[in-house]
Amino acid sequence: MRSLSRGITPLLLLLPGTAWLIVFFAVPMAFMLLVSLQQGTFDTGYRQTWNFGIYPEVISQYWELYLRSAVFALTATALTLAIGYPVAYTIAFRGGRLKNALLLIVVLPFFVSFVIRTLNWRMILSDNGIVFGFLKDLGVVAPDFHFLATPASVIFGLTYNFLPFMILPLYVAIEKIDRRLIEAATDLYASRLQAFWRVTFVLSLPGVVAGSLLTFIPAVGDFITAEVIGAGNPQVFMVGNIIERKFLTSLDYPSAAALGFVLVAVVMVLVTIYTRLVGSDRLSG
Amino acid sequence: MTSAAPTQATATHRPPLRARLANLVLPVFTGLLLLFLFSPIGVMIAFSFNDPAGRQNITWQGFTVRNYVDLWGRSQITGPMVNSLLIATSSTVVATTFGTLIALALTRFTFRGRWLMNLLIFIPMTAPEVILGASLLTLWVTFDIERGLLTILAAHVMFNISFVVVTVRARLAGMNRTLEEAGMDLYADGRTTFWKVTFPLIFPGILSAALLAFALSIDDYVITLFSAGHTLTFPLWVFGVSRLGIPPEVNVLGTLIFLTAFAFIGVQLWGQRRQGKAAPITLVGR
Amino acid sequence: MSDQESRSQIELTIDNLMRRDLISRRTFIRRAGRGGLAFGAALTLPALLAACAAPGSSQKAAAIKWLNWPAYIDIDSVDESKYPSILAFTEQTGIPVEYNEGLLDNADFLSTYAPDFNAGHNTGWDVMSPGGWVVERMGRNGWLEELDHSKLPNWTANCADYAKGLWFDPDNKYSVWWQGGITGLAYDPNLTGREITSFDDLLDPAFSGRAGGFSDMRDMFGLTLLSLGKHPEEATVADVEKARDKLLAVPDGHFRGFYDNSYYDALAAGDLAICVAWSGDVSQMVLNDNPNVKFVVPEEGGMRWNDNLVIPKGGANLENAHKLLNYYYSVAAATMLDEYVGYFTPVKGVSEQIAADAEAARAGSADASPDPETADYYEALAPTIVPSAEQIGNTYPDKQLTEEEEGKWNDLFEAVIGA
Repeated sequence: MRSLSRGITPLLLLLPGTAWLIVFFAVPMAFMLLVSLQQGTFDTGYRQTWNFGIYPEVISQYWELYLRSAVFALTATALTLAIGYPVAYTIAFRGGRLKNALLLIVVLPFFVSFVIRTLNWRMILSDNGIVFGFLKDLGVVAPDFHFLATPASVIFGLTYNFLPFMILPLYVAIEKIDRRLIEAATDLYASRLQAFWRVTFVLSLPGVVAGSLLTFIPAVGDFITAEVIGAGNPQVFMVGNIIERKFLTSLDYPSAAALGFVLVAVVMVLVTIYTRLVGSDRLSG
Repeated sequence: MTSAAPTQATATHRPPLRARLANLVLPVFTGLLLLFLFSPIGVMIAFSFNDPAGRQNITWQGFTVRNYVDLWGRSQITGPMVNSLLIATSSTVVATTFGTLIALALTRFTFRGRWLMNLLIFIPMTAPEVILGASLLTLWVTFDIERGLLTILAAHVMFNISFVVVTVRARLAGMNRTLEEAGMDLYADGRTTFWKVTFPLIFPGILSAALLAFALSIDDYVITLFSAGHTLTFPLWVFGVSRLGIPPEVNVLGTLIFLTAFAFIGVQLWGQRRQGKAAPITLVGR
Repeated sequence: MSDQESRSQIELTIDNLMRRDLISRRTFIRRAGRGGLAFGAALTLPALLAACAAPGSSQKAAAIKWLNWPAYIDIDSVDESKYPSILAFTEQTGIPVEYNEGLLDNADFLSTYAPDFNAGHNTGWDVMSPGGWVVERMGRNGWLEELDHSKLPNWTANCADYAKGLWFDPDNKYSVWWQGGITGLAYDPNLTGREITSFDDLLDPAFSGRAGGFSDMRDMFGLTLLSLGKHPEEATVADVEKARDKLLAVPDGHFRGFYDNSYYDALAAGDLAICVAWSGDVSQMVLNDNPNVKFVVPEEGGMRWNDNLVIPKGGANLENAHKLLNYYYSVAAATMLDEYVGYFTPVKGVSEQIAADAEAARAGSADASPDPETADYYEALAPTIVPSAEQIGNTYPDKQLTEEEEGKWNDLFEAVIGA
């Protein structure tokens, strides 16, 4: 039986932060749920009509956007994993004294605002800009080729922006691996490749999971990359774009809110499937 | 990287060329990737010195330092920059405090509903930003709350709390409890133990949580977009003025921020080096 | 944006610093504090100083805060942060102006400020420049101050007939015309390889991947409806559905994107061969960024629109706001503006003034040598800044949409832009 003060202490500690999260996160989410079930227009006002029919309506109309966003995000995640793993591995195993320095160098570009970085990429990748102007002059690339405003460019942009989100968790996980386990594997006649897959990679899985989630979840809801790098091309229009448009341009709050909730549901389902598959439960790092 | 030949460098036997080259693959790849990561930064710095004739800033038209000299007098940067710094500082202070308290509660006490608490912390970190921003907009509109600095601040504290909790909690979890127990064995009460033992030990965690919160807040675009109304923060301003080409001021500011971060990190690393760690670079081989 | 794991490596470094006992916590805080102060000061001090020196703090006259579209004011050729017509105004009246080019899209503008207006909050602006249909909505909802025409003698004297009494504000109760233009097609003949005459040219498969659509629903659907032989002011939802179908029938990848103002960049850079564009933007582009580009009104018709100066309700600067509105109806100010911006002016006599300036430039004067380039430009510009009868005949205004209609048109448009 705890004394009174010990019983209250955790509550007091929790109170300010929890209250804030409830008021500014949980309550708004609840409101968004309510708003999704309303009908009306902005000027004439919205009425709570408990219009559950909006969900099938919204899903049937926009399911392709969810699919497209998931595909883009998955591809970007796979790419960041493929690119980021060797880098994290190199820094962890070969970095020596420079480990911290190298990590900080990886993160350094991302101190500059993400908006500025994306805008500069748009400039670099423009049709007759630094990269493609040069390639076109060389004749390597057709004169009317363009990279911007294509799905590939959006995936490229997403991959770039989320690389550190993948590299850092990977690094943390790989760095912790006890080298002696790898030595033991090779002692037991495993080839270097086998030692890598069976030992190193498996032990680094929590990092892979953390990095994948930290990349996939924000990527699936992103709309800036599609707007800036994708130039508003219809083929790259993502779920985030339609939600933003409905909230900030068409003022169609009920549909926008419904789309938002479906997105949350989709993300939760995919995340659950993924973590069950991988069998890891160490998501909070 | 599937060399089957083991790379044994004994005193008399140099590893075969193929193996040595194979050993270079990873570091070269890493080096190239680091260059790749810096490419927009490099371009940004270069074009901050550009002197464009019209509104377009995509071809090199002449070197000038005028953009740097004129920076604060021109266009409307000062307002958004000040807003961003104000919001970042305040939200960092508040979020770090609240988040640390929660982390302490979660790791040091047991109580019913821990799983609920964990959920409450976990979901904001993983929900896409567009959802967080949009739901807050719903709140503001429902209650007719004027959007501006305060609503942005509320939003930033909200999403920062989760990150602070996770950071500090990891630190707390990895902490050696015996030190606290030692403190209490030496007749220190709870409060003294906390301030003299626990707090100094978790301080690096709190500090890095604060830095993280600051960085997240300064750079936030999506959530801020929904809660700002017509107030401008730095990322919002950048986006707005870049509709018709990236004005040089944007690159100038980006460069300044980058150089500041670079200097900060450089000083840290130099400080480390000074403590006698002048070791040769060992990127190839172990 | 950093993440939860960037904290671990920062933490590692800090931890390393401390654990090695080489630097006590107090020292670290002190140093970090100093460093942080230095950094913060370096970054913010100039900003704060500049902010303090900004017009807002001068006791003489409250600055007029004006929200306008980009590419809608004359810009000094040497220093792009100076706007000559505004500087002249401040010199004449002593009232500073805080000019902001944050108005990027009519629909976005309305939705950003609608919640504030609905709740009766002050938007922070004294003057705004929205389009016609927005003015109609704002006026109807009571969000605008009524103009005091006794304070606008220049308007009464100089406003051309085509610029007053329009459908969205027939008595000019709330608004005066700022600038007007036409939405049509812009193209680069070097890239298209031929002249452009019709909206259907935009859909020509030869331009696949280099054609630009517009993200403004009214403009884009307007042009499409015209190409189907329907007048936008009379279009029904069924007509708009046909317009949507026509745009959706275009193969994927044909439209490089549906742009807002940012088409300017893409067109000037050569990313687009042909796109939907605003007339005045193209004049400015030819002058400043890309001399090859041409503007054409599609033969089936273009969209005619104008933006207006309005005073939102709740502002405290009514007197000064009226002065600004009045100022831009003086021939001198309107000429200064239009010689740069190139859109339709509402002020009588500007066309003649520009022609006179052309002659003056050609002749040279005591302080300036003859400038044939500028003279040619003004000469070519002078007749274009007043809408001709032909242009008025071949261009059409927006339809006054009810909320319901607008919702439906928006939904149909969302299908076009990718949803």
